[in-house]
Amino acid sequence: MSRVLRSLRDGIGFDTLLIIIALSYLFVFAGLPLIYNVIISFQQVDVFSLGTLWHPNVGFENYERVFSDPLARRVLINTLIFTVGSVALQFTLGFAAALFFHQRFPGATWFRGLFLAGWIMPGLVVGVLWNWLLSGDFGVINHMLKSMGLIDSGIFWRSDTAFSLYAVMMANVWYGMPFNMILLSVGLAAIPDDLYEAAELDGANAWQRFWTITLPMMRSTIGAVLALGVIFTLQQFDLFAAITQGGPAGSSTVAQYWSWELSFREFDFGRGAVISVTMIIVVLFVSLVYVRSTRAETRL
Amino acid sequence: MRTEWTNRLLFVIALVLAGIYLFPLYWMYVTSLKTQSSIFAVPPEFLPGVPQWRNYALIWDVANIPRYMWNSLVIATGVTAFTLFFGAGAAYVLARYRNYWIDIALFLVLMLQVLPPSLMVTPIFVGFASVGLLDYPRFGAILAISAKTMPFFIILCRAAFMTVPRELEEAALVDGNSRAGAFFMIVLPLARNGILVAALLIFMQGFGEYVYSASLIADNRLHPASIGMTNFLQPNVVNWNAIMAFAATYVTPIVAVFVLLQRQIVNGLTAGALK
Repeated sequence: MSRVLRSLRDGIGFDTLLIIIALSYLFVFAGLPLIYNVIISFQQVDVFSLGTLWHPNVGFENYERVFSDPLARRVLINTLIFTVGSVALQFTLGFAAALFFHQRFPGATWFRGLFLAGWIMPGLVVGVLWNWLLSGDFGVINHMLKSMGLIDSGIFWRSDTAFSLYAVMMANVWYGMPFNMILLSVGLAAIPDDLYEAAELDGANAWQRFWTITLPMMRSTIGAVLALGVIFTLQQFDLFAAITQGGPAGSSTVAQYWSWELSFREFDFGRGAVISVTMIIVVLFVSLVYVRSTRAETRL
Repeated sequence: MRTEWTNRLLFVIALVLAGIYLFPLYWMYVTSLKTQSSIFAVPPEFLPGVPQWRNYALIWDVANIPRYMWNSLVIATGVTAFTLFFGAGAAYVLARYRNYWIDIALFLVLMLQVLPPSLMVTPIFVGFASVGLLDYPRFGAILAISAKTMPFFIILCRAAFMTVPRELEEAALVDGNSRAGAFFMIVLPLARNGILVAALLIFMQGFGEYVYSASLIADNRLHPASIGMTNFLQPNVVNWNAIMAFAATYVTPIVAVFVLLQRQIVNGLTAGALK
């Protein structure tokens, strides 16, 4: 017994204890729910059977009902559009901003840091802010578009089925852009200056330097940032809750919102779990890409 | 090589870009200080008129702001405490060793970082309901949120621990400290700044959290300010000055802390984010 105690205080037992308490916490509150999720996706879980650990088994019925739902196709397309659109715009704008602030002018770092003020805000507040900015009659964005002559009459961003998904996407691009920028700035800063100097001596112009030095040197960073972008976009929920609530008529419902709606609006936790299981598999696959590209960079 | 004028030009462009980006925040504050009629002015009034500070006073009690803010504070404090207590040691071990087992543990932590809360909340809700944790909803929410914040915290903290030279710890051991003693007396104080920044980020996440609180907490008296905002939004959907005053009250503490500690936050984030 005293040997165990001594090891805990002074040997490998100390490290083991530290890591075990964290991993067991994560096992109980993340690992077990993951397993339980798969189980309840095969069960009928409603308000009546909620209080018990085990619920009536229904086989694949939940899966069949979700995938034959008329909304399923819409949700799949919406999730794809939202994810690809958000990540592409966040990344492009973030990269452009990172390149701009990489020009080392006085105050560049400070200005770059200011952008994180958006990223640090609660998602729900960002959603409410954009809800007001995008208001149909009195929204300031419609006003600006009108005064630039881009539109004649106000777009009803939140209540027009053709625009609702893009309204949330705009807010999400604003919200996620700073994080992309910061990560890409770190990657840019890691490229040795003498590479550029050598290329400049060889007569390469800025455009050529970007394609032959910056992009290849940033490959693993870009991989990580894109993967993280997909992961964070698939986590986005608050903006939907605050701007469109998935509507109108499901036009801005994405998978992670639909799953929550089935569970907490229709109280059909089995079907909510079906989408949850499916999407978590997708997310874990993407994060494998992310972990691989961070490993390539730092050799953990 | 680069002239004074290019620098000035870049500076002005940076100013414009930051202005465009931060416009939504500016618009929140300006709207919150307008009268009911001037929020609907066409064209919009971009500069504030006479500031209507009473917008803030009016919503303070009507919208139950003190209660909501208190609940947010309780949840954020609980989440930070749990995350620090369970996560800091693991971050240290993951920073100190490099072997097969550590690789596996690190991989698991990275994988758990990515699980979307709105998907995890279904099994967590059903599980908590069956073991009776929903009877203590704020505590349940703290437990669930901490599982979400901990992997991120471990990654950030690990970077902070990696900056502590191993030699200092070894010197402490030679001087007769135990491993535990060296950890608490030498390593923790040296990594303090990185840990504090990481804890601050976790606190802010807890302060603004929505999904778990909205799903696990049924009692309105225990709701945090994020849910308070949605509750306030529905019946007041034309009173944008009041809604923006609520939003401003909610985020001003966060924005203030960010402005004060901008450099530390950016550094902490960039150190841990990719490594």
